[in-house]
Amino acid sequence: MNISIKQLFGRKPKSSSIAKQRLKLVITQDRFDVDDRVMTRLHHELAEVLAKYFEFSANSVKMDLKQEGNSYILVADFPYTKFHDTNMRQ
Amino acid sequence: MGKVIVVTSGKGGVGKTTSTANLGTALALLGKTVAVVDADVGLRNLDIVMGLESRIVYTSMDVIEKQCELSKALVRDRRVDGLMLLAASQKNNKDDIQPEQMKAICDKLRTTHDFVLVDSPAGIERGFSNASAGADEAIVVTTPDVSAIRDADRIIGLLQNARIEPINLVLNRFSPQLVGNGSMMDQADVLDILNIELIGVVPEDSGVITSTNRGIPLVYEDGSPGAQAYMRIARRLTGQRIPIHNFEQKGILNNILNWFTRKR
Repeated sequence: MNISIKQLFGRKPKSSSIAKQRLKLVITQDRFDVDDRVMTRLHHELAEVLAKYFEFSANSVKMDLKQEGNSYILVADFPYTKFHDTNMRQ
Repeated sequence: MGKVIVVTSGKGGVGKTTSTANLGTALALLGKTVAVVDADVGLRNLDIVMGLESRIVYTSMDVIEKQCELSKALVRDRRVDGLMLLAASQKNNKDDIQPEQMKAICDKLRTTHDFVLVDSPAGIERGFSNASAGADEAIVVTTPDVSAIRDADRIIGLLQNARIEPINLVLNRFSPQLVGNGSMMDQADVLDILNIELIGVVPEDSGVITSTNRGIPLVYEDGSPGAQAYMRIARRLTGQRIPIHNFEQKGILNNILNWFTRKR
């Protein structure tokens, strides 16, 4: 962010820097915004894969997107009740 | 095998068609064989901007419907060697064409031309997917204002998902004076937000209006700043390394002038 001497002396910031700040905010939101249908599909696909290894009840699953600084984190909680020991089966 | 480049923007009115016409002509002036394709079915304009509107007989729709051969639908620009236009149908709409059909046309054109430039319609719907279906690379045109840049970012995301790369940015209608007094974002600001490669900055040039009125692309008149900017971009597209021109006014006199004319 550019804080010029003019701004320190109480002048209004330039409209170009306001534009840039506003754009940065809104574009970060645009990029982060995941379609609900995509989230539901991802949820099903993840559950399908995890079900090969773990036992869990479908309604205990929680999925969330979190922002940390400039990056976004997909947090998925799949509390499981049992681990299928795949080594034993082979 | 030639390259297929889609010229797109998201937002309308930022200069896609003007850029396609000028870059196509500029590449032909550099000795390349070029086909420019209007993908704006139902709202065609590349023909009138290039001054070829009276010579359109067939369109891409006729080629798709097998009413005529692709080679017969191409209109040759008589002012320069190696430049052809494939017009869009004006009486159909975007849903009448499938992405695979556009891709087939582009793939055929690339066997006979060094460059195939596809002028995309505005928006992120079918017209855009048709225009980008056969593209290897993309040129995203934007102006330095918030709505154009926001839409450009959206289009860049879609192009990246379609694995089209490189995606090069043309910053159009740039005003050194407005940047100087703080009322317009400069190229560094725009690149900081969009984070793609800049292939050229085209300054605001009233010559664009008169050249469009006449149907003679600006690049035919060497002197104008806009023409020079498009020629530089065309050279970069052919692989020449030319540094990005710095339009920003520097020097103490300009700083004093800007201080008096500054706006917020």
